[in-house]
Amino acid sequence: MSTNTAPAVEIHESGDSAVRVVAVSADPERNWDTVHRLAGWLDTCGAEGLHGAVPTYDSVLVEFDPALVSAKQLRAFIQLGTRQLGLRQLDLGGSSARGPQEFEVPVAYGGDFGPDLEKVAEQQGITVDEVIALHSANSYTIRCMGAPAGSPMMDGPDFPLPVPRLKDPRLSVPAGAIAVAGRQAVIAPATAPGGWCVIGQTPLTVLDLGRDPLVPYRPGDTLRFRPISHEDFDGYVGTRLAAVRPLDLHPVEPQPAAAQQGVAL
Amino acid sequence: MNGRIVVEQPGNSVVTDLGRFRGPRFGLPVNGALDQFSARAANILAGNGDNAPLLEVTALDFRMRADQDLLIAVTGAPLTLTVGGREQPQWEPVSVRAGEAVAIRGIHTGLRAYLAIHGSVDAPLLMGSCAPDTVIGFGLRLGEGTVLGIQRSVAPLRQPYFDIPLFRLGLERPVMGSELVVEVTDGPDVAEFGGSADLLFASGYTVSGRSNHIGLRLGGELPERMSNAEVLSRGVPVGAVEVPNREELLVLHRGRGVTAGYPVLAVATSLGLDVLAQARPGDIVRFRKTTVAEATLAYRASMRQLESLRTTVNTVFKLLGVGDEPGWRELPPAIAI
Repeated sequence: MSTNTAPAVEIHESGDSAVRVVAVSADPERNWDTVHRLAGWLDTCGAEGLHGAVPTYDSVLVEFDPALVSAKQLRAFIQLGTRQLGLRQLDLGGSSARGPQEFEVPVAYGGDFGPDLEKVAEQQGITVDEVIALHSANSYTIRCMGAPAGSPMMDGPDFPLPVPRLKDPRLSVPAGAIAVAGRQAVIAPATAPGGWCVIGQTPLTVLDLGRDPLVPYRPGDTLRFRPISHEDFDGYVGTRLAAVRPLDLHPVEPQPAAAQQGVAL
Repeated sequence: MNGRIVVEQPGNSVVTDLGRFRGPRFGLPVNGALDQFSARAANILAGNGDNAPLLEVTALDFRMRADQDLLIAVTGAPLTLTVGGREQPQWEPVSVRAGEAVAIRGIHTGLRAYLAIHGSVDAPLLMGSCAPDTVIGFGLRLGEGTVLGIQRSVAPLRQPYFDIPLFRLGLERPVMGSELVVEVTDGPDVAEFGGSADLLFASGYTVSGRSNHIGLRLGGELPERMSNAEVLSRGVPVGAVEVPNREELLVLHRGRGVTAGYPVLAVATSLGLDVLAQARPGDIVRFRKTTVAEATLAYRASMRQLESLRTTVNTVFKLLGVGDEPGWRELPPAIAI
């Protein structure tokens, strides 16, 4: 597949105020790249009546004000945009103002912090320690921001099997919960109901209502889990999650967030 | 903060606006007034911008009192509005004298009322919006004794000889009832439901008591998905009609999580969402199929109604000196203590 042709997308009607754009190439990585690039472009293009774009894995939901823009106009605009993106395919920085950042997340696994850890180990046919080792082995790319509250959705650890969802979803999962389901991994930024298996909890504050944006990461950033002991948990409470350092691959200006790491509000 | 409104009986009320439109990009639902038409109308009738913070009162009785003269407007579901004990019209500007109680009682044939105050009320903002977000715990939910700051006061506008209503601006009110018609367009995943998709239009659905601002749960004949394949998480529009289980239909409203893995069978139109905002548990909802083009036309027609209301209100207020001396005045700055 040539790298300077427009990405293949389909545009589906989704009511009078939104359209769903799906990238339909055979390569999931390229699809992810396309929808995030498209979302970035829509976000910064300044078109009147455009509320914003919600990119996930292979699709982006584009929301608009039907008083100002029709779905038909938006469709034409997006087609124009994807052609434009085709021309910029080689620009790996895309439309983002900063390069990817890296985050390190301390996690207390098991016990009250991770009530489903043993169940996951049993289901996978491996030990609890192996679950922890696999979960904290690799760094994860944040694929998209999901519900609730800007959860970082990541491709899951190299477990032997997909992790089934809980039969009875919990009515309340605490903020900082580290969960897995299917082939995905996530951190819960806020207390909310949830049906994923909770294997640990981070003491760091992920969602901060006093900060804009409310969560420090965004799609394309990478994240690594570091096991800590249950005793060390309290020592981190009140510290905000912040980027470790910009990735060497994409040198950028030093981030103020990095300087603040470890500083409690 | 200058003038003060004190909430005496909060019922179930919040300060909100039209929504956090920048939120979904960051994983936050748009939220905001569920009945957008009524909220816009209330603000226009009170001489405010459409998106000014206003009160959303859900189902239960509400009462407040201000230490300044106010100009207010109440829209939404039918109810009894009294000011200082005297009944006042809904969907019209209403004058309130300092110290008079403003009471909303007996919300019926609908669920939500909107109370806008000329000059609006002070409210904390998150990403440019005061709309409460229950998931992250943001927003101003009113309690007994909550004090709301106000920046403007409007001297009483009363017919000088008889205490009859001063305004008759004649906005066409939305139709409300216990049998509701909600227009929907085909969802992006309608094909996944095969022939069973048409069941949506075959009979009525009963609104469950477990409905809220996140979504309405409806009982009735359920269309069935043909496959069980996992769906990748995708952004879902407000208004998405889904069949998450074999018991109920789910129609997502403005508090919906922005991503989900269920196929979208249909999408309620913007005007249909206003109808659903007023649906009470036990009400019957019938879906009617429309097209995106028709839905857009209908929405624009309703926005034109509001624009013409705005023109009328501006003209009348100008004649009365509201928004200008002498009827309207900025409150004097608070004295530093």
